[in-house]
Amino acid sequence: MTTAAATLQRIRSSSLIDAIGLLILAAFVVWLIYKFGENPTRFLNVGIIGATNGAIYGLVALGYTLVYGILQLINFAHGDVFALSGLVASTLIISVWGLEADTNVILVVLGLLATLAITVPLFATINATIERVAYKPLRRAPRLAALITAVGMSFIVQNVSLALYGVDFESVPNFIPRTSAIEIGDVAIQWNKVAIFLIVIPVLLVLTWFVRTTRQGKGMRAVAQDTEAAAMMGIDVNRTISVTFVLAGSLAAVAGLVYLLQFNIRYDTGFELGLIAFTAAVLGGIGNLTGAVLGAMMIGMVQAFNEGLDGTPGSDWTRSIVFGILIAVLVFRPQGILGERTPEGA
Amino acid sequence: MSTGASGPSGPVLEIADVHVYYGAIHALKGISLEVGSGEIVTLIGANGAGKSTTLRAINGLNRPRQGSIRFQGQEITGTPPHAIVKGGISQSPEGRRLFPRMSVTENLEMGAFQRDDKQNFAEDMERVFELFPRLKERRMQKAGTMSGGEQQMCAIGRALMARPKLLLLDEPSMGLAPIFVERIFETIVEVNRQGTPVLLVEQNALMALDVANRGYVMETGRIALEGPAAELKVNERVRATYLGEG
Repeated sequence: MTTAAATLQRIRSSSLIDAIGLLILAAFVVWLIYKFGENPTRFLNVGIIGATNGAIYGLVALGYTLVYGILQLINFAHGDVFALSGLVASTLIISVWGLEADTNVILVVLGLLATLAITVPLFATINATIERVAYKPLRRAPRLAALITAVGMSFIVQNVSLALYGVDFESVPNFIPRTSAIEIGDVAIQWNKVAIFLIVIPVLLVLTWFVRTTRQGKGMRAVAQDTEAAAMMGIDVNRTISVTFVLAGSLAAVAGLVYLLQFNIRYDTGFELGLIAFTAAVLGGIGNLTGAVLGAMMIGMVQAFNEGLDGTPGSDWTRSIVFGILIAVLVFRPQGILGERTPEGA
Repeated sequence: MSTGASGPSGPVLEIADVHVYYGAIHALKGISLEVGSGEIVTLIGANGAGKSTTLRAINGLNRPRQGSIRFQGQEITGTPPHAIVKGGISQSPEGRRLFPRMSVTENLEMGAFQRDDKQNFAEDMERVFELFPRLKERRMQKAGTMSGGEQQMCAIGRALMARPKLLLLDEPSMGLAPIFVERIFETIVEVNRQGTPVLLVEQNALMALDVANRGYVMETGRIALEGPAAELKVNERVRATYLGEG
């Protein structure tokens, strides 16, 4: 009798929570439609800014979600690895290749590719080394030990950035023009935004291909779903974890360059961006690759709408809104947008 | 591969005086057993007797603190799990442990992860589908959404995809409807008839002793009894304890 009543209570309260969640979501969608109708051009221009930022957040969020999927570890150092990669990219672009605002397009493209050719392997190695040195010895320790170590690694990497680059912001010249590449009416997409998508989209396609079809990628999914069973099938778990950190480090390096093309970067940029990206990963359903990109796009959009449209709280409130969304997701849909309810409740 | 002291016609698997600890708990207190080529050997005993721990010592997940495990005459104690699979021992684990968000086909593929001969891959998949026609119907389905019996078929099929020289089966009948249990045991006999030695861990002692050549009875980390399956089946102690008689 008591259990039946308790079950009924649980069903009632969960459907009430679902209803409130849907109501909030519906109100937000209605508000978006209203804003679109008010000034479609502005809405779309702001949306493009949001998509660009979202793409950058997505690259970083994928690093969190890949590692979490395999180790159930929040790798706090990831954001700082991203920031350091951006700083190193700025050195390469300014001091080594010497790209200027008026450099020829072909040289710019070659310079950016050469930057990636150096930073991607470098930060893939650094990230895999962090795992090998800091996390692997704690594989059998309580999860909290690895988590605290990740916070420690975050400070170490951040301080390396501080020691190498100081407290100043680094930036690169506008060698990718801010002129419009695509113009439909008053809606315009500038070249520097197009460039970001030209880098991000192929990277996402390669990542999807790798995880879905290659032997190593399938091994990664198997380890993520059941590590011990994967070992019993002959999958080398240690190697698979290393490959995951290599992938995450490569994504961080690409994100570092892409961020640098858009914004200024300094030693602590990775802290806040890391938090936003982690929020995006949770929002999309941590461990789910598509979810991480989707969550990042949503956060990018929310941020852009809040800062670019009228009648919103404005940029001072962006952080509060982003983390308010995180809390709302954890209350209304703990598994995230695309996450699945698993027996472990993860 | 060099033939060890036991020679080519010796046992496929030889375990001698293996001790395994979980922290301070002495889980295996000197286990010795053998699986000969072409045999089905069953390991029976109550819950917590150490049956699964014995399998985990063989597949490399738990490293024995003492003792030796030899496979085809070669010492494999302390070898990492993935290398043991590559060497020819594959397993269908307790509770099936399929990859729930992968399709049946992908699960079977994972079973063949360590194999380099991709050309025989399709052929082996066909062989698994012949053993379990049900899996062929469900091959695109996510493994986690199938019934317990279908999942067990998939788990055994997955272990077979490694082309094992020794097959470890951990509680293949657990939680299954009687009709599925019978199918699973028929398949075990069929796989063995095709030439694969089997080490079968079971709580369903009666069924296990029916299909096995020899058996070992485990009690609290030790081998309490061993002998031909037919003899164990009529042994009074076995009947009283595991077959629900007496």
